[in-house]
Amino acid sequence: MKTLSFSKIWNRTKTFFSKPANIILLFFTLLLTATVIFPLISLVLDSFMVQSISEAREINEIWGTAVKKGDLTWAQWPNLLFNANSEYSLYFFWQPLYKSVFMALLACLIAVIGGGVLAWLITRSNLPFKKFISAVFIFPYIMPSWSIAMFWENFFKNTSIAASNYQMGILEAITGIQVPVGFVYGLVPCAIVLGIHYAPFAYILIGGILRNMDANLEEAATILKASRFRILRKITLPIVAPALISTILLVFASSISSYTVPAFLNADNSFTSISIAMRGLIITAGKKGQGYVVAVILLSFSILILTINNWFTRSRRSFTTVSGKSGQVSKFRIGNKPWIKWTVASVLILVVSFFAIFPLISFVLESLQETSGNFSTLTLKYWFSAESFDVRITAQGQSSQGIFHNATIWNAFGRSVLVASVVALVAGTFGILIGYAVSKNRRSRIANYVSSTAFLPYLIPALSFGAIFFSLTYKEGFQWLNVSSTNNEMSAVAICILVASIKFLPFASRSGTNAMLQVSGEIEEAAIITGCPWWKRMTHVLFPIQKSSLISGYLLPFISCMRELTLFVLITSSFSLITNVLQFYDVYGMNQMSNAINLLIVVFVIGVNFLINKLTGASIDKGIGG
Amino acid sequence: MPRIELINVSKRWGHFVAVDHLSMVIEDREFVTLLGPSGCGKTTTLRMIAGLETPTEGKIIIGDKVVFDSDKGINISAANRDIGFLFQNYALWPHMTVYKNISFGLENLKWKKDAIKERVEEVMKTLQISEFKDRYPSELSGGQQQRVAIARTLAPNPQVLFMDEPLSNLDAKLRGEMRTELKRLHRDTDSTFVYVTHDQLEAMTLATRTCLINKGLLQQYDKPLNVYNHPDNLFVADFVGSPTMNFIDAKAKKVSDNVLALEFLNLKVNYTSEQVINLVGEDVILGIRPEFLLIKDDGAINGLAYSTLPSGMETTVKIDLKQKILSAVQFGAVDYAFDQKIKFDIIGKKIVLFDKESGKSIALGSCEVVK
Repeated sequence: MKTLSFSKIWNRTKTFFSKPANIILLFFTLLLTATVIFPLISLVLDSFMVQSISEAREINEIWGTAVKKGDLTWAQWPNLLFNANSEYSLYFFWQPLYKSVFMALLACLIAVIGGGVLAWLITRSNLPFKKFISAVFIFPYIMPSWSIAMFWENFFKNTSIAASNYQMGILEAITGIQVPVGFVYGLVPCAIVLGIHYAPFAYILIGGILRNMDANLEEAATILKASRFRILRKITLPIVAPALISTILLVFASSISSYTVPAFLNADNSFTSISIAMRGLIITAGKKGQGYVVAVILLSFSILILTINNWFTRSRRSFTTVSGKSGQVSKFRIGNKPWIKWTVASVLILVVSFFAIFPLISFVLESLQETSGNFSTLTLKYWFSAESFDVRITAQGQSSQGIFHNATIWNAFGRSVLVASVVALVAGTFGILIGYAVSKNRRSRIANYVSSTAFLPYLIPALSFGAIFFSLTYKEGFQWLNVSSTNNEMSAVAICILVASIKFLPFASRSGTNAMLQVSGEIEEAAIITGCPWWKRMTHVLFPIQKSSLISGYLLPFISCMRELTLFVLITSSFSLITNVLQFYDVYGMNQMSNAINLLIVVFVIGVNFLINKLTGASIDKGIGG
Repeated sequence: MPRIELINVSKRWGHFVAVDHLSMVIEDREFVTLLGPSGCGKTTTLRMIAGLETPTEGKIIIGDKVVFDSDKGINISAANRDIGFLFQNYALWPHMTVYKNISFGLENLKWKKDAIKERVEEVMKTLQISEFKDRYPSELSGGQQQRVAIARTLAPNPQVLFMDEPLSNLDAKLRGEMRTELKRLHRDTDSTFVYVTHDQLEAMTLATRTCLINKGLLQQYDKPLNVYNHPDNLFVADFVGSPTMNFIDAKAKKVSDNVLALEFLNLKVNYTSEQVINLVGEDVILGIRPEFLLIKDDGAINGLAYSTLPSGMETTVKIDLKQKILSAVQFGAVDYAFDQKIKFDIIGKKIVLFDKESGKSIALGSCEVVK
């Protein structure tokens, strides 16, 4: 009897492993548990652990305990949240928190209204220049969010503001207008910049649904004599509601933990975001534990948001009915006279260009002026000169020569491209495999686990994610990954590849899953019957069918990786990647260099996106939907 | 030669039983249809034989090869079972031309280039799709796509061909044409066909044997006309035939070994069978095919014309007999006024008697109304 049951188990195991999808699921269960779940647990544990001797001293003083470094304690939570010194809690936690929530809400509002209105205009009206507007509108999402922040500063800074060293910005140079400091630095501009950055995201999500929505649904309402407005309110909006809610939640989650934008637009120290507060705590000796407390709180926010999002999309998923006969919907006519629609289009082009094209121009201008805002000091030396501009930089063994002679910049740029390429390859391929395995095993528990774990890194604030792996590099066996002890930039490259492959997996696994779910199972079965082996089914049947959206799964991690700083800032040196170097020159006040580098990154990313789009038809906006 | 045998095959998903201890033999060169309502387990059965689904337990033999055995842990993949499969949605690869769709499978089998070309052109000719060679599936009509799918399936000369409701996406006229051609194809290819459908007409007209399944259980496995004339139980009787069989509740009393006295709807009827009737309880159900209700002026039973549905060649007459609506079929076009009085008889020797409790058929016989 015993041997029989053993052989049964053996048979079952054999059957299980005869399916490639199951092997993939098992592999990712192990991999993601090790790279996502363990780090998360360790982060939570860290918030309950005494991190340093000075921390132990503080805790013992307040609570009369006798803890040592490495002991478990719950004291960090009340110490930060309800400190006896209430101003401490207010300053380091509560104020940053509610201000950040406010900022994130404002950013959501801007993103959803901007992206949603445009999505509707593009899919449902007779707006002219749709193609141009649609293409350019995506730019702010391709750009690093802080490059928009930098542009904001370039444009609005003026000679009345001390925080920007009384430098003249573009607006003042052209018109002489001086905007108040609250419009250049602080909460409001942060929210606007984040809103602009995420508006294309809203546009892609909502536009995707509007485009795929069965036009018959709206036509049926037209025939029943519903007015245009009533159709919008009663039919269209409820159907796009899930996408709308998804957008709001995801933009909120990303904005609230955004670090770079508040860091760039905080020259006057008027606005400490929760992420800045967290970084401050983590890098301050003796407060590290409290920093982890903030990280855990941010994380719980994110998980709450994901849960709400899942709940909404689950109960409403059936709404997004895709049909083949869309696209014949009668277009809404803007205004009775042609000039009205042309005016609307012109205004849109102006607004879109301002945020999409003007930043590039501003980066060019800033890199060409010796004194910011002063057009009489135009020079090409920051690009072409071989002379060193700053001895402080040269003293560190780094180059401060013009861009085209600057080894520091080009080495870092090369490493960035290397990291981005490997990450794209790894994350993109993993995404396809996960998508395949999940689509073959819908409703199975293991598939659910893999797909939600693969999405989790999206919600972990980049800074805390970096922090988790930063602490790993101090552990036995992993020290070769620590760039500050090996002094080898390849250490940084290696750990960045590891961290970014996980962090950017959500995009890839989402687009992979969506793409694979659209292919009916019979398509693959038809190939199985003909004796086609698994890898050939992937490369000859499934991949070609969903080529464009699967390539997006490679493109998104690549682009995200090229422009990433927050995630890498703890685990790299100041010269490892191009974004490090950018920040480094910024710190040394070499405005021209940092603007030039920004231009370099943005042009490179847009160029790659354009090239891939022309070569394969894939584009960034195809991968995110859903 | 491919004879297919299923021994005690079951498929369960958690507590849901899709197929329950199914055993059947499909003889070489048969055309077997698996027939049943949607969700009855017929597609699952087909996919298990093909190797696309793994049975929970049981044994499947194709030809002299055991392709699945849960006890011995044998599970040969679909690719190695030497079969063809025609999918409901055709599953044509959208990124390949018609030619490429057909040749792809042969390439996997490592055929020589010349042989592939020759074979692809041959099947394209057979199915009259040579002119679409370089088109993509999206550039073809539904009927043309169907032909390409068939060509792709036939190309490697499979000994067994599985089809999962292949005609359900076609319009009525095309479906009729394809039925005719599938039957020819079965003879021309000299192979075994297993065909899943929920359309009883399709099952009746195509098959050499048909297998009725309900809720995962085999109901009857027999030649189509036997299924029609000698249904084993109420489910089979009801599912096969259009318009459906008339079922009338009746009380039965034994008169002799093969004669019963029936009472229903205020009628007294003598039911005579050629065999001994094994009456279980007095509650029975009388099953009368519509063609056995003959309307004639001197008929013994009085009814009202509830509604008349002439279709040209034949007419379905709904008869109201004491508030019970019965279907009768009359050859040619007739039209009765609503509620017109009509007379009819129960004719023939194929009136089925079912035991009400078990639903099993207990006798086949004729009815005579007692005045």
